[in-house]
Amino acid sequence: MKYVALIIPALFFALFLYALLKKVRLYDCFTEGVKEAVPLLLSIFPYLAAMLMLSELFERSGFSAALTQALSPVFSALGIPPEISKLVLLKPFSGSGSTALLSEIISAYGADSYIARCAAVAYGSSETVFYISAVYFAGSKKNLAKPVVISLTSNFISVILGCLLCKVL
Amino acid sequence: MNAIFSAVFLIAAAIFLIYDPNGFLPALLDGGQKAATLSLTLLASYCVWLGFFKVLDRSGLADKLANRLARPLGKLFRSSDREALGYASQNIAANFLGLPGAPTPLGVKATQKFLAAKNGYAADMLFVLNATSLQLLPTTVIALRAAAGSAAPADIFLPTLLATAVSSVLGAALVRLTGKRA
Repeated sequence: MKYVALIIPALFFALFLYALLKKVRLYDCFTEGVKEAVPLLLSIFPYLAAMLMLSELFERSGFSAALTQALSPVFSALGIPPEISKLVLLKPFSGSGSTALLSEIISAYGADSYIARCAAVAYGSSETVFYISAVYFAGSKKNLAKPVVISLTSNFISVILGCLLCKVL
Repeated sequence: MNAIFSAVFLIAAAIFLIYDPNGFLPALLDGGQKAATLSLTLLASYCVWLGFFKVLDRSGLADKLANRLARPLGKLFRSSDREALGYASQNIAANFLGLPGAPTPLGVKATQKFLAAKNGYAADMLFVLNATSLQLLPTTVIALRAAAGSAAPADIFLPTLLATAVSSVLGAALVRLTGKRA
């Protein structure tokens, strides 16, 4: 596991060394890239803000809890433990929220419990779909229903599969 | 997106109206606050990675990567736009390596290029690949479990990899099946 930490520094070191050998003017080039950061952020900011306000409303209104409760028999029937259905529902909306929830589950049930392992797999195999769609398609008028539905479905199936795999692996 | 936003917003606002009218504005403001703090975090990671990727680009390595991957990626995305495919290939590589924050700027650039070329299929495909998580090593999860004293923090690696591979393949297949032939 400790080798994983080497990836990022090694990548930077190797690339910058290679670029120097290729006579790239590193400082000029690096700053040119950084220059694009602010415009990029500005272009996604409105969508980011709207999405985060929405996810805050979703959670605090109790809407998310009500939905979790309503869906939990369905989830149980599919082999997803009720303890993690909230995580499954929250993940598409909020990365930081679901990370916090995952740590809660891990400390409540113990890192090596079945529930916590399921939660870890559910967290790791799905993504913040609404957030990514807001950012990637910032400002486009494209109809997002299809890709969003496809992503949510695929992620949901992978959670079911993950919970099953945690039983056998 | 408009439908989801409207539906979730209205239902949540109605619940607030009935049960907790004073909680509504603070919830919105907290969302805004999170957007403001997250923006700074994102800006920091964009600075690092956009700098890095400009160097990658200028060194000629990005081109090499794109050339190597042009054929399979061109097929996957039904596109021959070299620049867009280049960004897409780097986005996928960054996802695999789990470089935090790196895939987003590349994905946004590739999507903008695809959409400018009216290739909605490619944009959908790239989005679904990103939204079904391509990460090889779930580093955040492993770190959390290690911190909580797990005996084998990495033992969720295999189930996660299998589950996420299934979701990505399934997602890509669905995009392909539902996409019109270009």
